[in-house]
Amino acid sequence: MIEAETHLKALMLRGLAGDAGAHRAFLTAVSGNLRAFLRARLRTAPEDAEDLLQETLIAIHTRRDTYDPAYPVTAWIYAIARYRLIDHWRRRQRRGEHIPVEDARELFTASEDEAVDARRDVTKLLAMLPQKQRDSIRLVKLEGVSVKDAAAQIGLSESDVKISTHRGMKTLMRLMAEAET
Amino acid sequence: MKTDDLIDALARDSETPRTGLAPRLAFALIVGLLLATGLLLAFFGMRPDIGAARMMVMMKAGFAALGAGVVLPLLLQLAKPGRAPGWRIAAIGGFVLLCAGVVAAALLGGDPSERFELWMGGAFPWCVVIIPLLATPTAALLGWLVRDLAPTRLTMTGAALGAVSGGIGAMAYAMYCPVDSAAFVATWYAVAIALCAVIGAVAGQKLLRW
Repeated sequence: MIEAETHLKALMLRGLAGDAGAHRAFLTAVSGNLRAFLRARLRTAPEDAEDLLQETLIAIHTRRDTYDPAYPVTAWIYAIARYRLIDHWRRRQRRGEHIPVEDARELFTASEDEAVDARRDVTKLLAMLPQKQRDSIRLVKLEGVSVKDAAAQIGLSESDVKISTHRGMKTLMRLMAEAET
Repeated sequence: MKTDDLIDALARDSETPRTGLAPRLAFALIVGLLLATGLLLAFFGMRPDIGAARMMVMMKAGFAALGAGVVLPLLLQLAKPGRAPGWRIAAIGGFVLLCAGVVAAALLGGDPSERFELWMGGAFPWCVVIIPLLATPTAALLGWLVRDLAPTRLTMTGAALGAVSGGIGAMAYAMYCPVDSAAFVATWYAVAIALCAVIGAVAGQKLLRW
């Protein structure tokens, strides 16, 4: 996310200086991030997510002159997106519609970065395991496939998958403990 | 409209954005003060002894300006997306402590039998009602400015906006206010500004949406 911040900020500043190409690249990059952010929070209404994305992009574009380079650009962008999202829910609520719990719960996740970091950490750690263990854990633990189906997919016996998952998990625990110290 | 088309359209719109923040802010504050003064003259008039009392009037207006000034950094911070208030809250706390200190010093220094009179100004403190009324033009002008900055915390922003407007309203009110006791001013002007903050917090939730 730090990389994204540096990259986005550079594009934003060049766009502000009048570089239309940089501004377009900035908006495109932002729309990719925000689409994922909004869709995750509007799982029950994906078409609303696209509308909100466009509203947010317009808000970012028309207010870009008030952005202060001394502050992180990602914080600025997500604050605007979060505001548009809350405003959207408020409008729906006034119309007497209920907000699905699974959508609202997403609002309380502390930061978008945390989820991304966690996902990246798991991927990185998994890459350190032998192929057999990695596949077993990915299917059984991350994708929720049954041991039987996983065995069929990888081409191992069921007990092999169980043992690989178990060993792999133990190794992962050790790696994470090492990473923390 | 497809999002990619929107991005194309936005990228083509390379027109330089509006005038900077500082001139618009100065405009809102100065015009707000002039309108408040106009309202004051139209409905209440100046105090009759304004010539002789000009030092007191200046001091009271200065106090009110200080009240607006300590909240202004917070307002500007909250008005922009994704900013933490930080030290700007402490500046307001400092102002409240200053008010408390002035009241305490003025009352303890005076004759005990006159304390209540010094504190209440001898009548109902009308400034608590009139200052919020005089604050409305500034609040409207600041609201027009702040909405363009995309505030994301509307209640807090509304409170800060109300307090700044209250300070400007109090500057105009100082030309009419007949009570010159320091304990009175430090109490009731501050209460009036706080009331403006409460009104601003409630109104801001609705009126500052963008």
